[in-house]
Amino acid sequence: MAIPAQSYLLLSAAVFCIGLFGVLTRRNALIFLMSVELMLNAANINFVAFSLQHGNLTGQVFALFGMAIAAAEVAVGIGIILVLYRNFSDVDVTKATTMRW
Amino acid sequence: MAAFTYAPAIVLLPFVSFLVALFAGDRMPKGGALAGITATGGSLLLSIWVALTVGGFTGSSTSYNEFVYTWVAGVDSVSLRFGLLLDPLSALMLLIVTLISFLVHIFSLGYMNDEGETGLPRYYAGLGLFTASMLGFVVANNLLMAFIFFELVGLCSYLLIGFWFREDGPPSAAKKAFLVTRFGDYFFLIGVVGILATFGTGLFAPVREGGEIVAQSFPHLAEDAVVNGATEGIAMLDTVGMGAQGWFTVLALLVLGGVIGKSAQFPLHTWLPDAMEGPTPVSALIHAATMVAAGVYLVARMYGFYAISPTALAVVALVGGFTALFAATMGVVKQELKQVLAYSTISQYGYMMLALGSGGYVAAVFHLTTHAFFKALLFLGAGSVIIAMHHNENMWDMGGLKDRMPVTYWTFLAGSLALAGIVPFAGFWSKDEVLYEALIHGLGSGGGLGPAFLLAYAMGLLAVFMTGFYTFRMVYLTFHGEPRSDIARDPVSVGWNVKGPLSVLGVLAATIGFINMKPVAELTGLHIDFLHAWLHGPDEAGWPALLGTDLVTYEELYHDVAGISSGYLPVIQSEGTLVLSAVVSLSLAVGGVLFARSLYSDPHPVEHTDKLGDVKTLLMHNYYQDEYQVWLATGFTYPIARAMDKFDQGVVDGVVNGVSSVSLFGGSRIRKIQSGVVSNYATLLTLGLVLLLVFFGLVGGWF
Repeated sequence: MAIPAQSYLLLSAAVFCIGLFGVLTRRNALIFLMSVELMLNAANINFVAFSLQHGNLTGQVFALFGMAIAAAEVAVGIGIILVLYRNFSDVDVTKATTMRW
Repeated sequence: MAAFTYAPAIVLLPFVSFLVALFAGDRMPKGGALAGITATGGSLLLSIWVALTVGGFTGSSTSYNEFVYTWVAGVDSVSLRFGLLLDPLSALMLLIVTLISFLVHIFSLGYMNDEGETGLPRYYAGLGLFTASMLGFVVANNLLMAFIFFELVGLCSYLLIGFWFREDGPPSAAKKAFLVTRFGDYFFLIGVVGILATFGTGLFAPVREGGEIVAQSFPHLAEDAVVNGATEGIAMLDTVGMGAQGWFTVLALLVLGGVIGKSAQFPLHTWLPDAMEGPTPVSALIHAATMVAAGVYLVARMYGFYAISPTALAVVALVGGFTALFAATMGVVKQELKQVLAYSTISQYGYMMLALGSGGYVAAVFHLTTHAFFKALLFLGAGSVIIAMHHNENMWDMGGLKDRMPVTYWTFLAGSLALAGIVPFAGFWSKDEVLYEALIHGLGSGGGLGPAFLLAYAMGLLAVFMTGFYTFRMVYLTFHGEPRSDIARDPVSVGWNVKGPLSVLGVLAATIGFINMKPVAELTGLHIDFLHAWLHGPDEAGWPALLGTDLVTYEELYHDVAGISSGYLPVIQSEGTLVLSAVVSLSLAVGGVLFARSLYSDPHPVEHTDKLGDVKTLLMHNYYQDEYQVWLATGFTYPIARAMDKFDQGVVDGVVNGVSSVSLFGGSRIRKIQSGVVSNYATLLTLGLVLLLVFFGLVGGWF
């Protein structure tokens, strides 16, 4: 039997909230990046779920786009983290506070 | 008409000479004088041609009023355009200005070049621009163009009065001349804007194309509004909430502000005696043909506008009459030759204003003409004396110059007789006509106008005596008696370039009055009042019908609208009044001359001014006019300006500064949000999103 769309949405919301929680509470930049990945993938789940619901493939295509963006984002993010580490000898995001008033 | 095609060249030639003298003057012989002489000579010839064409000597009498250049083309509003108006009045003025300017250029060869002055290119460039601006003003066919050239004339007078800028006096005199006339021009500018806003045009006379009026003039619109009540098109009247005549009077008086400044009328006359600091040929040009004449000419040019307002006319007449007397009294005690002449200029322009105010349009133009010649003569004569005296202008150091410089003496005497108003010299005929017009219109007009004219007449009459006195005091002290200094015993001789202009002007000063011998014409019935006929124009059609700037129009206007009419003394009637007026003014002038003779014809004259007691001090200080005006500036205007500055600095700037310091303070607090910690940003972002969702949820009714 078909799984109702609500289940996918609940899953997606849960994954998104875990990601958001990670962004808000963790200090390690790598974990930060992972949390962002979680949030992106929550969005992807949504795309696929609605695609199934409406019988329209556009959502699945956009999910592929989302993954590509996530990959690109990780590439940039890792680069930033490397520079962060080189400058502050740490990957703690709360330490890098020189760009403020 | 061919002459009109070349008319713009009258203005452009002196302008070219200005450019030539300015940029190439130091490489030319005589420092650019020849360019100026050629240019003004050419302008003179063209002016003669224009005058002949206008007067109908080369065909039928004709006129010209066209736009030549559009400066700002207005869409459904006022267009600002330059144009030429050539009618008998402007043709006459062109002749005067070009002739005097030509003679002044020649005289300058003797006064400036032969004296070894430096900076001659600058001098001749100034003269060229001065002449060009005045000519542009004369031919202007609308008020805005007239205003622009009016200001240019003021600028040139500033440059020329301050020619010797390395000395102390001239720069400050130049600044004073500029500022005082600017003060009057400020009112003029408001008047120009007011007239443009009221009528949508500043034209002096209607412009026609193929016989149809394409642009109506403001005096005609004003006349239409006052006489026929055609006020629909004049929205300004509702704005100001005044009647047509009242508002036009206000406008006329505003323009009069500029006239009072430029024509050195009370109370803005103080710049003129100081302007004597400039080179003497410049004084001649300023006093005779340009600058000072500009004011009176402007009133004559837009006389149709003044003629519909009895109040404006009365003000003009009273200011003129008072100035004539007021300046004459100050001329009585002056010790310097040019100072006496300066006050006589103020006084004589007072007569012209008196004539204009009291409905003597022809008399005013007549006096403007004769005065231009005899005052130019007197100034150039004074220049000749000053050359001879090594630039010592004190009359008490002169004396006995009569035998040593006969050409100057005889021509100067001709000018003095004309100034004093002794028959048959030019000044007699014009001054007599001014006073006669004031008298008969004073006797005939009703309401407050008659007494006002009579009062102005009385002041003018008293000034005749003073004029005769100070003129011949000047002549006796300068030329008669024994020499009172070594220089006067052996004066420097002057060349042809001084004697030539003097002789030309001497002849003119003696004879120019014959162009309008009104008393003789009236008594004998001969038609020898040529100037009258010149301004009157043909009875049918011709330029009066086209332009409406003719004598008949003006006479009808001030008779019908302003209520000026002629009246005569009882018993002796019109001819008797005419003769009596002439006899009274002549005998007063002769009385003044004889009084001067009795006091100063002594071989060793002494000062009599001490007998005047306190009055002498008052007169020597020019009635403390300068003092009170300086007080007005420092004691009155300056504190107000300071208070205004306080207001500006404190309140206006304070509000602005307050707003900026509030934002500075707020910014310094709010920027703390930017902590540099990424987690905080993420928190704020999330909170913001949540708040936004909650807000839209509440507004959209999701809950």
